Amino acid sequence: MRIIDLLSKEKIVLGTQAKDKADAIEKMVDLQAKSGCLKDRETYKQAILAREAQSSTAIEAGIAVPHAKSETVTKPSLCAMTLQQGVDYGAMDGQPSDLFFMIAAPLDGDLHLEILSHLMVLLMDPEFLAQLRGAKDAEEFLSVIDRFETAKYGEAQPAAAAPEKQGTRILAVTACPTGIAHTYMAAEALEKAAKEMGLTIKVETNGSGGVKNRLTAEEIENADGIIVAADKNVETARFAGKKVLFVPVSDGIHKPKQLIEQIESGSVAVYEHKGQVEETSTEKNESIGRQLYKHLMNGVSHMLPFVIGGGILIAIAFLLDDYSINPASFGTNTPLAAFFKTVGDTAFNFMLPILAGYIAYSIADRPGLAVGFVGGYIAKVGNSFANISGENAISGGFLAALLAGFVAGYLVLAIRKVSSKLPESMEGIKPVLIYPLFGVFFIGVFMFAVNPIMAAINSGIVNLLNSMGGSSKILLGAIVAGMMSIDMGGPFNKAAYVFGTASIASGNYDIMAAVMIGGMIPPLAIALATTFFKKKFTADERKSGVVNYIMGLCFITEGAIPFAASDPLRVIPSCVVGSAVAGGLSMMFGCTLRAPHGGIFVFPVVGNVFGYLIALAAGAVVGMLMLGILKKDKVSE
Amino acid sequence: MVSAKTKVINPMGMHMRPAQLFIKEVTPFGCDVFINFNGKDINAKSIMNLMAACIKQGSEIEIKCDGDNEEACLKAAVALVESGLGE
Repeated sequence: MRIIDLLSKEKIVLGTQAKDKADAIEKMVDLQAKSGCLKDRETYKQAILAREAQSSTAIEAGIAVPHAKSETVTKPSLCAMTLQQGVDYGAMDGQPSDLFFMIAAPLDGDLHLEILSHLMVLLMDPEFLAQLRGAKDAEEFLSVIDRFETAKYGEAQPAAAAPEKQGTRILAVTACPTGIAHTYMAAEALEKAAKEMGLTIKVETNGSGGVKNRLTAEEIENADGIIVAADKNVETARFAGKKVLFVPVSDGIHKPKQLIEQIESGSVAVYEHKGQVEETSTEKNESIGRQLYKHLMNGVSHMLPFVIGGGILIAIAFLLDDYSINPASFGTNTPLAAFFKTVGDTAFNFMLPILAGYIAYSIADRPGLAVGFVGGYIAKVGNSFANISGENAISGGFLAALLAGFVAGYLVLAIRKVSSKLPESMEGIKPVLIYPLFGVFFIGVFMFAVNPIMAAINSGIVNLLNSMGGSSKILLGAIVAGMMSIDMGGPFNKAAYVFGTASIASGNYDIMAAVMIGGMIPPLAIALATTFFKKKFTADERKSGVVNYIMGLCFITEGAIPFAASDPLRVIPSCVVGSAVAGGLSMMFGCTLRAPHGGIFVFPVVGNVFGYLIALAAGAVVGMLMLGILKKDKVSE
Repeated sequence: MVSAKTKVINPMGMHMRPAQLFIKEVTPFGCDVFINFNGKDINAKSIMNLMAACIKQGSEIEIKCDGDNEEACLKAAVALVESGLGE
């Protein structure tokens, strides 16, 4: 810090007149106010007067240094004034004052002490005083200061300035459940305290508006310690191996200094992250593909519990039900089975909204969640402008939900960007009003517009299949079975399934057999692959792979969705080929099925069940081998 | 000459108001007063010298009194600094 940097020509008035002390102060406050360093002139003036009321800031030799530290000061500033006739400024030596330096200092830091000290060192030199008083104009006044200051301190930083502690780098994360006020209050308090202590700090806020000022992997690497002032979960895996202090957010607000001191003292324990390390450490050189994959996996991992819980309950329903009561409604014939089936279906109903919601959450943080949920739900129901209620609409399936999730996430990012132009006073209502309102509205419009495409695909396929009725049965079986695993619940799957059930009604039982076997293959092929190609899957995937045996045998194709969603370009072709093989063989063996659902539980009513089992095994093994060949090794596990 | 070591505890250090207070306190005793800070003797009866020294919170200082009433002056000066210089 140099005096010369705080002063400028505009802030120097020489040889002017002042009636008395109050008048002199008035004139200097004007100079400061004009320079733009004050938020409010009056507040600053009151602070100056309050300071003078305690004791005069006049020193010796006709010099006075009125000064005030105030929150109204936005940047440190100095102004200078000389009077033709000195005024009584209440100096201890009784002399009138004619040379004034007025200091405006921000509330934080020791800056004004340093400015004062610096100034005093110069002012003690009688030669300096004489030259200042003799200066003809502001320019000469400045050059005198420059000359003496350079002679005294050199060009560089003055020796008297306190050396800032550069080494310590402290990081902090603040978060509270609502994420509107406390998060930011704590961040502000910590920043202020650090500044007062002459330390550098970076605070990441996890508010409802999303993560701001995110800590980078490099910063974490270089940090001495990290303060986590949070009342909700924040990502902590990235802090493994660092000294981390966990406190409630209120401590961040009320005891920032103590927290920083604790970090400084080095007595904080090193944090060990329990559980798997989230893959976030290489964010700086992440490719776009890698980022998309991360978002995708966030959706898939949150969806998985719904698939497993719901899938097993539905399997139990088939196990407990009696096929013979009504084959068409197998799974809900007895009250007990119906209960399990209903609960399982309820869990399944969440799958697509959860998938889309958490993809959007990963992209746009909290504001993305609601928008993604709504988008996923509309994808699931299949509403469109032509069919607003969504009754009997064609579900867009998981591919539409993936689309909904990504669109929702980037939509919210776009809204955030646009609304950043709004005045700062609107900041608080963005997460509670603007993001949800506009986000949900636009994702609704988008999905309503996209869903008819799904419906069109669906009806086009049904027509195609109908027109194929007379051609090769084996080819038809392979196609419908393959379609079952293209999108596992989307338009292709539904078209094939509807075609199968319609064929039952018209007395062609072989097509339904091919349809069901096609839907059983994906989970089975994946389950087998997780058993025989362990390297290709993560530990979590291997565990959930076991459940896929059950789901596959029960004709619950959805079990394959988490795998398909996380690696669609490899998993879907593998499943389609496996299913097509099984469907073609089923047709070749002349297998028939009169029930629309049930998997292994309806095998007793399958015509040529032996051939059906061979077809199932062959298809599953082909699918598994395809997965083994196509999927890449998971090296990191 | 007598001397004693003490520590500046008030948060803002030896800025103008505490310096003025310090001078008012020691001047009536009539002896010379110096503060040794950072290896330099500072004339502690000059506001400019005191300010120029830039004594911040937590600084160790040595107060030296030489002349009439030096014992009493030192006692008063140390007490004042230890009480936080009126802050």
